Amino acid sequence: MANVSTPISPKSILSISGIGSMKRRRVLGDVIVYVLLTLGALVVFVPLLWMLSTSLKTESELFLLPVRLFPEVPQWRNYIDVWHIQPFTLFFLNTIFITLLAMGGEILTCSLVAYGFARFRFPGRDVLFMIMLGTMMLPGIITLIPTFLIWRGFERIDTFTPLTVGALFAWGPAYIFLLRQFFLTIPREIEEAAMIDGANTLQTFFHIMLPLVKPALLTIAILSFTGNWNNFQGPLIYINTPAKYPVILALYAFSESLSKEAPKWHYMMAMTIIMSLPIIGLYLAAQRHFIEGLTIGAVKG
Amino acid sequence: MQRDPKVHFCHLGVFLFLERTMLDFYTYTLADYAIVALGMAITMWIIFRILVRLGMKREAATGYALVLPWLIGFIVWTAYPIIASLYYSFTNYNVFQPPKWVGLDNYIRWLTNDRSFWPSLRLTLLYGLISLPLGLALSLGIAMLLARSVRGVGIWRTIYYLPAVIPPVATILLWRWLLGTEGLFNQIMSPIYQLIGIDKPSWFVDERYALPGLVIMSLWGVFGANTVILLAGLKSIPVHLYEAVDLDGGGAWAKFRYVTLPMVSPTLFYTLALGIIAAVKTFEPGIFIKLNSLSTGTFLQVLVYSNAFAGGNSRMGYASALGWIMLVIIMALTLLVFRSSPLWVYYEGERK
Repeated sequence: MANVSTPISPKSILSISGIGSMKRRRVLGDVIVYVLLTLGALVVFVPLLWMLSTSLKTESELFLLPVRLFPEVPQWRNYIDVWHIQPFTLFFLNTIFITLLAMGGEILTCSLVAYGFARFRFPGRDVLFMIMLGTMMLPGIITLIPTFLIWRGFERIDTFTPLTVGALFAWGPAYIFLLRQFFLTIPREIEEAAMIDGANTLQTFFHIMLPLVKPALLTIAILSFTGNWNNFQGPLIYINTPAKYPVILALYAFSESLSKEAPKWHYMMAMTIIMSLPIIGLYLAAQRHFIEGLTIGAVKG
Repeated sequence: MQRDPKVHFCHLGVFLFLERTMLDFYTYTLADYAIVALGMAITMWIIFRILVRLGMKREAATGYALVLPWLIGFIVWTAYPIIASLYYSFTNYNVFQPPKWVGLDNYIRWLTNDRSFWPSLRLTLLYGLISLPLGLALSLGIAMLLARSVRGVGIWRTIYYLPAVIPPVATILLWRWLLGTEGLFNQIMSPIYQLIGIDKPSWFVDERYALPGLVIMSLWGVFGANTVILLAGLKSIPVHLYEAVDLDGGGAWAKFRYVTLPMVSPTLFYTLALGIIAAVKTFEPGIFIKLNSLSTGTFLQVLVYSNAFAGGNSRMGYASALGWIMLVIIMALTLLVFRSSPLWVYYEGERK
């Protein structure tokens, strides 16, 4: 683009003899790049398109040959059917209830803990922080069974408590790490000024510090929302009664009923899309924060 | 065990809106939540007062009080479970009777007597060993294409990242459908099958094709995320390094080999280290896709789950032992990656 407006530079005079072949090679390279990128995009898109088109087909259209990408008449009522075959409204409410409580708990406690690690000197702080980072590497399988037994001891199996209350204990060392990084960048003078004005630690934290790390909070909110929304193992282990199922368990139960005799893949795909939509919507709305959440650990860590 | 046995599942097809019992049930959870939150706040306050009373500086006391939620969580939900799980792994424990010490029995049974262990170990390790490098190479390739100031990078990035946004469970269900014997994948590939002269594979059912099927699924699901991470790494490579290669008369390969690869190696290292842990912990594909645990093998974590929780099983000790075997595997692999890192990971800071 820039080449068009720039006057002849010394460099281009030097290469003026070979400019034709250079340009041709350049164009050819670009073509190859775009072809490859388009191929890759097709690999991404075709399965997604297939998911959508399957969800709009009738049962008899599912295995029709030759393959048709689009159904004869889009069966939008598949979505309504799916919503009624199982009490989907209830499953949705359950999921939202669990996700919001867990997310709220994680954000609140993780930011408090991160603030503690970032701003206050106390004996053993660095050791504790290292231990906390170390727990990131610990696979959850080790703690899974005893954790289950603790909740069982409290008679909280088949309740939402294990899926939500645990969040109040600052789940998520990665969140703490990220928030601490953000708190560290805020100049101390800001807090000192607040203290002089008579604010106590909690007031400073809630009214001054938290608003300043809003971008990080958003990133964490998104990570935590998706994490809890997609959580499968937790509900699978703790929830037994179908009325208490989150959407993901309803999907699992339905997928178990799929068989050669009743391959209701159109319903399955419709349910899958319903479950994915909130996350996809969130992604399209706040893409920057999604990608930040992904890359911050990689580049800084 | 169940707190409100009144909740009975409605019949299929009956639309059930919030029953009173469900409202009660939400309230139970909220009560638990509020009690723990309040308890936590009060404990933080009390700890702060006690520490100040004991003559600690206010700053230090505040610090301890603030990290208390994590500290309690660490003790209750991490430290104690680690010790407990190690103890259970040496016992027979079925939840209803107290644990009975059996020494190394569980470990020996896994390694010598359990016919699902070795196939599953093989599957889990091969799955990681194949899908990780393949996925990284693919992601690196696409990231390099995107790094060449392509028009509309933002749009490409949005597209490529999409599979990583889709809930993993949705990805699995989608691919179970795509890779069915009569599924779209086989239909598209059928000319190629005819060319090589093979029948349509029944992915996931046929033990020869289960692993490739799982790898294809994981590649589609994860490469977008890695692409975005690697793209960030590529974008941070200073342009003058490439110009230096140009001046020395080096071509595209030299740029890749001597600039790109060393400069992104820390990012590759990070993704690899995390990827290993994630691969060994793979769970959902093994639950949503019924693999034959004796011939194909299944994922190790599925074995933990099925021994501890599924189908009326509660072999807590036996399952815990497998958890520890997995931890040893993860640690060994992670150590290997870390030990090998000086050979292939280049850190700029070290040279200066």
